[in-house]
Amino acid sequence: MIKLQNIQKVYRTSTVETLALNSINLDVAKGEFLSIMGPSGCGKSTLLNIMGLLDNPSGGTINIADQTIDKFSDKQLAQFRNSKLGFIFQSYHLINDLQVLDNVELPLLYRDSTAKERKALASEALEKVGLSNRMKHFPTQLSGGQRQRVAIARAIVGNPSIILADEPTGNLDSAMGNEVMDILINLNRNEGTTIVMVTHDENMAHKTHRLVRLFDGSQVQ
Amino acid sequence: MIKHIFKMIWNKKKQNSLLIVEILLSFMVIFGVFSYGLNAYSNYATPMGINYKQVWAISYNHTLDTKSADSVTMVYENLLNNIKAMPQVIDAGYHSNNIPFSTNHMSGGLKYKDEVIYYINGYDVDQNFLKVTGATMASGRWYNKADAAQRGKIVVINQFLKEKMFGKEDAIGKTFGNAEGKDPVKIIGVVNSIKQEGDYQKLSYGRYNLHDTAAYKWMGKILVKVAPGSGADFEGKLYKLMANTLRKSNIEIEHLDNKLTAYNKFTVVPLIIMSIVAGFLIINVALGIFGVLWYNINKRRGEIGLRRAVGATGNGVSQQLVYEALVLTTLSLVVGTFFAVQFPLLHVFDLPAIVYVKAMLSAIVFIYLLVLVCSLYPGKQAAAVYPAVALHEE
Repeated sequence: MIKLQNIQKVYRTSTVETLALNSINLDVAKGEFLSIMGPSGCGKSTLLNIMGLLDNPSGGTINIADQTIDKFSDKQLAQFRNSKLGFIFQSYHLINDLQVLDNVELPLLYRDSTAKERKALASEALEKVGLSNRMKHFPTQLSGGQRQRVAIARAIVGNPSIILADEPTGNLDSAMGNEVMDILINLNRNEGTTIVMVTHDENMAHKTHRLVRLFDGSQVQ
Repeated sequence: MIKHIFKMIWNKKKQNSLLIVEILLSFMVIFGVFSYGLNAYSNYATPMGINYKQVWAISYNHTLDTKSADSVTMVYENLLNNIKAMPQVIDAGYHSNNIPFSTNHMSGGLKYKDEVIYYINGYDVDQNFLKVTGATMASGRWYNKADAAQRGKIVVINQFLKEKMFGKEDAIGKTFGNAEGKDPVKIIGVVNSIKQEGDYQKLSYGRYNLHDTAAYKWMGKILVKVAPGSGADFEGKLYKLMANTLRKSNIEIEHLDNKLTAYNKFTVVPLIIMSIVAGFLIINVALGIFGVLWYNINKRRGEIGLRRAVGATGNGVSQQLVYEALVLTTLSLVVGTFFAVQFPLLHVFDLPAIVYVKAMLSAIVFIYLLVLVCSLYPGKQAAAVYPAVALHEE
C-alpha cells in the first residue's frame, strides 16, 4: 500500500545541515496497522508527513496505492490527499469556529459533493465514533477525547484507504486514549483501513500489527 | 464553498466586526468624496453658456452730482457710446452688480400657477448682453431698443428655470407673477443657462430683466467685449475714460477669465483638500485591511495547514482568504449602501440623485478593488504556507 525507498530528509540552513531521515525503506501492506516509535526528534513525524505528502523528501521514492508520487503537481497532491489519505493529529486541529458537523465535512468540501451528501456522510462518520449527539457543538465545548473522535470522523469521512495518525492519544488520559485506540483498531479491522500511527506509548504500539522504531533518523527495528 | 465561507464569517462575527466597520467607514468617506467630485465634474461638463474670454468687467459707483434724471441718463449713454467707439471694443453693455463669476447675488421668488419658486437670480441687463457675453437663445428673442416701453412687463428667463416651470412645454408668451403672484410678466425669450458661479457649480434659476434707463446709477457694472490682443495700454485708456466721466468714482477693471479662475478655487481647493485627506485615509484603510488579513493568516496557519492536508491546493487556500475578505466587504457595503441611499432619498446636500448613484457605484467598485488588492498578497502568503510546518506549529 505504501512503499518508501531510500527516503532521506535533510534540513538545511545557511550554516547547518541536519539529517532528519536517513535511507528509510518501509513497506506498509494494505490493511496493516503499523506503529512508529522512537525518542523525540528521531524523525517520526517527519516520516509521517512524507508519507502523507505534506512534506517532500530530499531523496528517495514514495509509492502509495500503486502510484509513484514523484512529479505530482500541487493540485494532484491535494486531490490525492483528499481521496486516499486521512489525517489525525495529536492536537486535533479542529477549526474552533465551525460546529462539529462542519469540521467533519471539511474534506468533502474539496471534492464534488452536494451539501446533502456531505451532511449524510459526516453524520455517518460521527455515528461511527459515537458523537452523533454532538453535531451542533463547537470543538471548545467538547472534551479532549471527544475532540479526537471528531478528528477521527473527519479523517474517515472521505473513506480514505490510509489513515496517518500522529500521536493520536498523546494529549489524552489513558481511558480516553484507549477509547480512541479502540476506534482505530475497529476501523482497521472492520473497514480494512491501512493505518500508520506515530506514538510514544508502548502499550498503544503493541496493540498494532507491527512496530517500527526510529533512532536519529534511521530505522532500527 | 461560499456557504462554508459565510458560516466561518458568521461564527467569527465578533472578530470580523472591526474589519466590517473599517470597510464601512472607508466606503462612506469615499462615497462622500466621489459625490463631491462627480458633482463638480458633472457641473464642469455642462456648457458655460457664455464666451468669457476677452470680456472685461468695469465696476463703478455713481458719483454724478446732477439731480436731473435725464442728464444722468445722457451721461451714462454717452459713456457707453464712447466705450463702444474705442477701436479695441467689440461691444459693451450695462449689467447689474451680479455679473458672471462675482459673489454678488440678487434673488427672489416667482409664482407660476399655484407653485412658488424661490432662489431665482435676477439680472438687470441691457440689449447688448448677448453680443458682449456670447450667450445664446434657446427660444424666443432677446431684448431690443423698442422693448424699453414694455420694461417690467416682459422678461427673459434661463433654460434651467424654463425646465423647472414648464418642462418640455414652450415658455414663450406665458406669464408669471412675483412670489405673491402680483406684477405679471410675459416671457419673450429663453436664454441658454449660464454657469454664473464658475465651472464647477450647478446651474441656478435666472431671469433677465431689461434695466431701467432712468436708473443707470444702480447698475454698477459695464461688461466690455474687447478684441484679442487688447492689453494694458488699452486698459489704461479705458480706465481714463471712465475716470474722466465719473469723477471721484472707484473704477476697477477685471477680466472675466481671471474672475472665473478665482471663483473656481472655491470648489477646487476643498476638493483637493478632501482628496488629500481621503488619500491618507485610503492608505490607512489599505494598511489596516492588509494588516488584519496578514494577522488572520498568521493566526490561522494551523487551519491553513489542515485545509492543505485534507485536500485544498495552495491556490484554493489563497482564493478562500480572498473570498472571505470580499464577503466581509459585501456585508460592509450592504450596510454602507443602506446609509448612502438615504442621501438622495432625503435630498441631503441637494445634489442630483444621479450623482449619488454614480458615486455609490464608483465607491463600491473602488472598495472591492482596494480589498482585492490588499488581500492578494496575504492570500499569496497563505498559499505558500507549508502544511507540514503549519501543522507542527499548533
